[in-house]
Amino acid sequence: MGEKENIKRLLQEAELYKGQGLLNEARLKYDEVSDLVRNNPKIKNKQKLLAGLAKKINLLEVDTQKVEKGPSSPELSSRAQDLIQQLFSFSQEESEEEAALEGALALAKFGQFERALAEFDNLLSNEAHRVVAAKNILRCHIALSSEEKAADIYEKWAKGDTFSADQLEKLRVFMEQVLENKGVDRKLTVIGTKAKAVVEEKKEEEFIDISAIGIYLDSGPSKGKVVEFDVNFQSGNLLSLIISKRDGKMIEHLEVNNELEDLQFYSPIAIFNGSGLVAAKSEIQSGPKQGDYCLDIKITST
Amino acid sequence: MAIFNLKKREIECKVVYYGPGRGGKTTNLEYIFKTFRKQITGEMVSINTEGDRTLFFDFLPMGLGKIKGCEIKVQLYTVPGQVQYSSTRKLVLRGVDGIVFVADSLEVRREKNMLSLKDLQANLKEYGLNIFKVPLVLQYNKRDLGEQGIPLMSIEQMDQDLNRQLKVPSFPGSALKGDGVGVALKECTKLTLKSLQRELKWAQ
Ligand SMILES: Nc1nc2c(ncn2[C@@H]2O[C@H](COP(=O)(O)OP(=O)(O)O)[C@@H](O)[C@H]2O)c(=O)[nH]1
Ligand SMILES: [Mg+2]
Repeated sequence: MGEKENIKRLLQEAELYKGQGLLNEARLKYDEVSDLVRNNPKIKNKQKLLAGLAKKINLLEVDTQKVEKGPSSPELSSRAQDLIQQLFSFSQEESEEEAALEGALALAKFGQFERALAEFDNLLSNEAHRVVAAKNILRCHIALSSEEKAADIYEKWAKGDTFSADQLEKLRVFMEQVLENKGVDRKLTVIGTKAKAVVEEKKEEEFIDISAIGIYLDSGPSKGKVVEFDVNFQSGNLLSLIISKRDGKMIEHLEVNNELEDLQFYSPIAIFNGSGLVAAKSEIQSGPKQGDYCLDIKITST
Repeated sequence: MAIFNLKKREIECKVVYYGPGRGGKTTNLEYIFKTFRKQITGEMVSINTEGDRTLFFDFLPMGLGKIKGCEIKVQLYTVPGQVQYSSTRKLVLRGVDGIVFVADSLEVRREKNMLSLKDLQANLKEYGLNIFKVPLVLQYNKRDLGEQGIPLMSIEQMDQDLNRQLKVPSFPGSALKGDGVGVALKECTKLTLKSLQRELKWAQ
């Protein structure tokens, strides 16, 4: 194939990928073409061609930015919100409150915080789900505005009579940890007695909130050391960590289903030891965290 | 988990379209919505973001008529492909009964297909499901692009990459033109209902 045909073919490929939203793939083809043009002494009006390509690449970058920045959680129509709530209430048969909680959690996960707040508010009247609902109300406020705002909500609750002293203590412990993690210097009003809240917490939700985890590494550059990572998300006994590409080498040897023996869990209440399992590991392919790793660890025993 | 309503004699099951981003999952559902109007029982809901990307999921309810006196309803879902929506993918997969894995035939997407299949396996495992046992079919999408001279993988290569161990039914197709869309869905619902019959000991 002649050089000219080759270039034409590559450009056609690039345009197609772009049209399909495969922006990275399109970019690579444009780069390939640019190289071909640059290194080919036979091509006339090289500068003009290269300028044209640079322009295309520029436009592509703008698109890429838009996709990555795009509203991560646009406000949906109330019909779409109803649907989410309904589709993700899995426990309808067993318990209405349980289903309501699932629906509200789904709304929050889909970024519909205002609507989720309204649903969680309703659940505050339910004794069994009050604390879970309240924690999620705080999480929604953190997502919507700030940790400070969530702390204000806690203080409002501390003055009211929706919560028992024990329940308030659980919320305070939760909120305090959030503030500490974010480096917000603020003291919260203490209402309950500390020791009691701790014991019940474990019973009620099975898994307490874990803010960070220490992993003993038995190979890699940090062999023989315990390294600490923040926990970014938690769902029951599953912890998700986002590990920066800088630290990628440290966890390079970890594979799905690897057992981790010496784990340290940092919770608001105590540090405790246990073991776990690598449940998932993936490299983040795009977005602001591109190149970082997402590591899911399932706690198997404590 | 299918919902089996004995009183109404109705079974409602969930089929999820899984696969790498931009592979054609939403296009599959759009084609089904356009073409199988009689079986569609409600609106298709799509929640998109910048550049037409599925942010949350697409949803399409269908009715397949009666089998042995039982009304069969199927809910079709797609998952968002982008890596950052992994928790949404997991949520959509909860309670799944059958899966259509839409693989992209473009050579440049080879690795993405394999990664997505691994991601599916890991997510199923979270729910205690085994990818080797769950009703699953593969669709090798975008075959139409071969005619335009765009480099595609051969069917053999895709089978080798994705189906060597699974050995599930696979269909070449073009969601854009509608080729291989109906057959993939039909095979998937067939496998799904078979497995539900075993599970629920219904209609035996
Ligand atoms: N040529 C061609 N393009 C397709 C086909 N299926 C999907 N596309 C295009 O690929 C892009 C992504 O499709 P989409 O359905 O949004 O992918 P999803 O991310 O898997 O839901 C869109 O531009 C579609 O028009 C196909 O069979 N042939
Ligand atoms: Mg889509």
